[in-house]
Amino acid sequence: MAELYGITGKIARIDLSREKVTVIEPDVELYKKFLGGATLGMYYLFKEGIVSPDVDPFSPENMLQVMLGPINGAAPNNRSVFVTKSPYGFICISLAGGQTAAKLRFAGWDGLQIVGKAKDPVYIAVIDDKIEIRDASDLWGKDAEEAEMELKKRVLAPIEYKDANVLTKYDMTPEWVEIRPPDPEKTIGAKRLAGVWLIGPAGENKVWFAGIMTEGFRAHGRYGSGAIAGSKNLKGIVVRGTKGQKLADKTKFLSIMNDIVNKEKQNYFWRSYGTAGIGYAEAIPKSGFPIRNWQWESWRDPRVAKALTGPFMDDASFIRKEACPGCALKCATTTQITSADPMLDGNITDMPDWEAMGMVGGNLGYLEMPGKTPSDPYTGDHFDQAEALAKTQYTTMLFDKYGMDFIEGGALIAFLMELRQRGYIGPEDLDGIDLKWGDVHAVDAIIRKIVKREGIGDVLARGLFPTAEYFAEKKGKPEIVQYAQGCHRYAQPAHGTRSNKDRNPLEYVTVIRPCEHTGGGSGAFMARDLAGAIKGQNFEAVTNSLVICAFASIYGGFYVWENTLELVKAATGWTDFDLDALNRVGDRYYALGRLFSLHSLRIKDPLEDWDKTFPPRWFEPLPEGPYKGATSVYNGDPEAMLADLREYYKLRGWTEKGVPTKEKLEELGIADIAADIAKRWW
Amino acid sequence: MSEERSLEPQKDRISRRQFVAGAATAIVSAVVGGIVGSQAFPKTVTETATREVTKILTSTATVSTTIPTTVVSTATKEVTKTETATKEVTTTVTVTPTVEKVPVKNAMLLINPVKCTGCMLCAFACAEHWMKEEHPELAGDTINLEFSRIRPMRFQYVDVVNVCYQCRLEPYAEGSDKHPCEQVCPTGALHTVEGEGKEGYYGNGYLWVDKDMCLGFDACGKCLEVCEEQFGSGISFDPITKKAQVCSMCGGMPVCADACPEGAIEVVVPGRNGRVYAEPPEVKAELYYMKLYGVRRDL
Repeated sequence: MAELYGITGKIARIDLSREKVTVIEPDVELYKKFLGGATLGMYYLFKEGIVSPDVDPFSPENMLQVMLGPINGAAPNNRSVFVTKSPYGFICISLAGGQTAAKLRFAGWDGLQIVGKAKDPVYIAVIDDKIEIRDASDLWGKDAEEAEMELKKRVLAPIEYKDANVLTKYDMTPEWVEIRPPDPEKTIGAKRLAGVWLIGPAGENKVWFAGIMTEGFRAHGRYGSGAIAGSKNLKGIVVRGTKGQKLADKTKFLSIMNDIVNKEKQNYFWRSYGTAGIGYAEAIPKSGFPIRNWQWESWRDPRVAKALTGPFMDDASFIRKEACPGCALKCATTTQITSADPMLDGNITDMPDWEAMGMVGGNLGYLEMPGKTPSDPYTGDHFDQAEALAKTQYTTMLFDKYGMDFIEGGALIAFLMELRQRGYIGPEDLDGIDLKWGDVHAVDAIIRKIVKREGIGDVLARGLFPTAEYFAEKKGKPEIVQYAQGCHRYAQPAHGTRSNKDRNPLEYVTVIRPCEHTGGGSGAFMARDLAGAIKGQNFEAVTNSLVICAFASIYGGFYVWENTLELVKAATGWTDFDLDALNRVGDRYYALGRLFSLHSLRIKDPLEDWDKTFPPRWFEPLPEGPYKGATSVYNGDPEAMLADLREYYKLRGWTEKGVPTKEKLEELGIADIAADIAKRWW
Repeated sequence: MSEERSLEPQKDRISRRQFVAGAATAIVSAVVGGIVGSQAFPKTVTETATREVTKILTSTATVSTTIPTTVVSTATKEVTKTETATKEVTTTVTVTPTVEKVPVKNAMLLINPVKCTGCMLCAFACAEHWMKEEHPELAGDTINLEFSRIRPMRFQYVDVVNVCYQCRLEPYAEGSDKHPCEQVCPTGALHTVEGEGKEGYYGNGYLWVDKDMCLGFDACGKCLEVCEEQFGSGISFDPITKKAQVCSMCGGMPVCADACPEGAIEVVVPGRNGRVYAEPPEVKAELYYMKLYGVRRDL
């Protein structure tokens, strides 16, 4: 076989039931077609029949994959992606930053595929070619932060570990031996160079929105990959690689890499605050901040928003920045909470980032003064603002520590709070917990119940829409479901749709990862430029397949189609790879992702039963803020959005119900895995 | 190394970095001096250093110039078209001092744990530098951080950049003034190169490993064991030859410091035995954690 560059051509298949590791060596043509990461992961889910509705997400047959793309490793802005069937039944493609992806590439792998179910809790240790399934019983039940540090200690490369002493007193001077002779207890092994992906107690207890964590606060949060790991009795994956990465044109690769780093260094905003900086912009100029379960998306008084803006958060709590490998954006920040409330005070967490400040900040009513609504003037001072920040940071910390997604989780709690506000439910429905807006102690209590799946927590652990249906049935009030804010039966992230300055609701309907906020093409969507939107979405699909950072690509503009292609070519040496090939990866990602959810969830009519699952609030007038009265780009008319949706499907080359046609699947070369599934809707 | 030796000022050939470092250390000494009663820098060094730093600062200062609007209009859209007259525009011009890069002696790398983001660009630069030198056959197409002498390690909420602290034994207590790893090396492979060495790689009084003499990790490993047992974890091993690797300060011109986008790596002439800085990575992490977050935690 010819020498491979960028990729290594090896994927490890780890069967936890049979405790066996096999190596898959995909043909290079497969990489050119699917690139890696999310799209290659989806290919395997189709090929192995996991897409079938008969495969239960929690069954041993489901496959949990962590996949890399050809430039993961040496490239700046590395991320990792977990691809599996979500507990919700749809596709799970979940990304996070951190160092572990680079370490997996340096160990010589393009990905890991985990099937089966271990009898007892285990972790997987990857040290270059050697992959071991090791006992993790002592770590089961430990939170994601504590367990990670323990796992890191246990995985060392052969060149940094020795379990016997070599040093004797004869190696030292007599005077030295006299005061400090060699310690027979201490052997070689002080370095900590492994990377860890792991789950917290939420994943162990199969909370549907549990994530896979890394580095304390980085989460593959959405779509429930942590619950799938938990169902396999898999506590974590620890990786130490010493082999490095081969690149076809290293000089060119490094020059593009340096160019990206130098551009990043000029970006004051991201380097200072990361996504924590966008709070004010979201609330005021864009008017898309989730406030009290999206009843408001902006405040009457701009001062309210100040508590969750980068500069205020920096003044009040930022400690230091943390970057992913090779990245000068360093968008993550560690923080320590200062609060008059002893429950919150002193806890250590990260920023909050944008999604956190939205979903477990504004959405839970933390920002307004007690007894006030978002339509009232702000009466507090800087310490009150700091308390709002502290509540948000504390809630973020709980989600990170237990290993859960605060988008689905935040939406769920806000939904319950709105039901209480409207008198549909009371403390008696929530094991005595009174979920008032802004009450962080009630939020703390409900989160602990969810993690342990205790009492009502067992119902809530299945996420927003199943909970909405549970209460609708229990109370005999079907209208309750309309307050569940999300699309495709999954929570809406912290970007509003009504002002048309943040998102077009159509974007949430078209993305193949249910209700994702990083689908790309947002600007084009808001301008109703559907062809441009598809191009943006395809580029983001490529980003998810190369598994690089969306901030550096979409938002920072450091990656564009051309230099991304150059980077891929420099890494792999694929001379026949071009922009069209890159774009077609995006087309495949969208075709496969769409079919996965439709098939896996047994959707009969894609348009009626799946695409119309959006909340009525999207088209109701905004009650406050600079876009008061706005009802989306469609002026409050969902039919107008559905007309655009049909146009979108036409441009994608799909049927009017949004199913890729036979011709399209053949053109994309995926008819062999997808045509049998798609044909029932043709 | 004795304290006195490291205090010798190099008046004739001093690089920019040395001056900045020297000034920084002088300030630190002035602050800390009273508390720990340690020897302050010789006065001459402090004075020269301060003067030179001022000069450098001036050269990177804001320059105000008068530029015709036509030239500026493409860059600054705020300038209205009606304003046809010339306009005062403030431009920041960073002038890199054209001082020739000269090896710094008696220096060490100190990493600021608050500024460091753990981006690993220092390790990428170091690995690249040494692969080209020691494994040119691989360097053409491979990136491998194992060749890096400087190793960032991510602990939760703290990053530790692990590197050699250049500890010295104390003659009165340990009967030697060698580096501990140098002392225990059974073949003399790990030694100090006092002379020129190889410019940009080793020499000028820094540690170096003679690869032909090193027994390698499998047969020996004493250097790392003594380091981890009593000092830090400054030795690593070449993943191919399994021979020891130690930071040789690139012979006084470390590439990692230039690669750091945050200015977190300082090349300083501390005037102290490096062992006062040395700790194993997890100890550094626990100390940083305590300092930054005010809490003790096992890492």
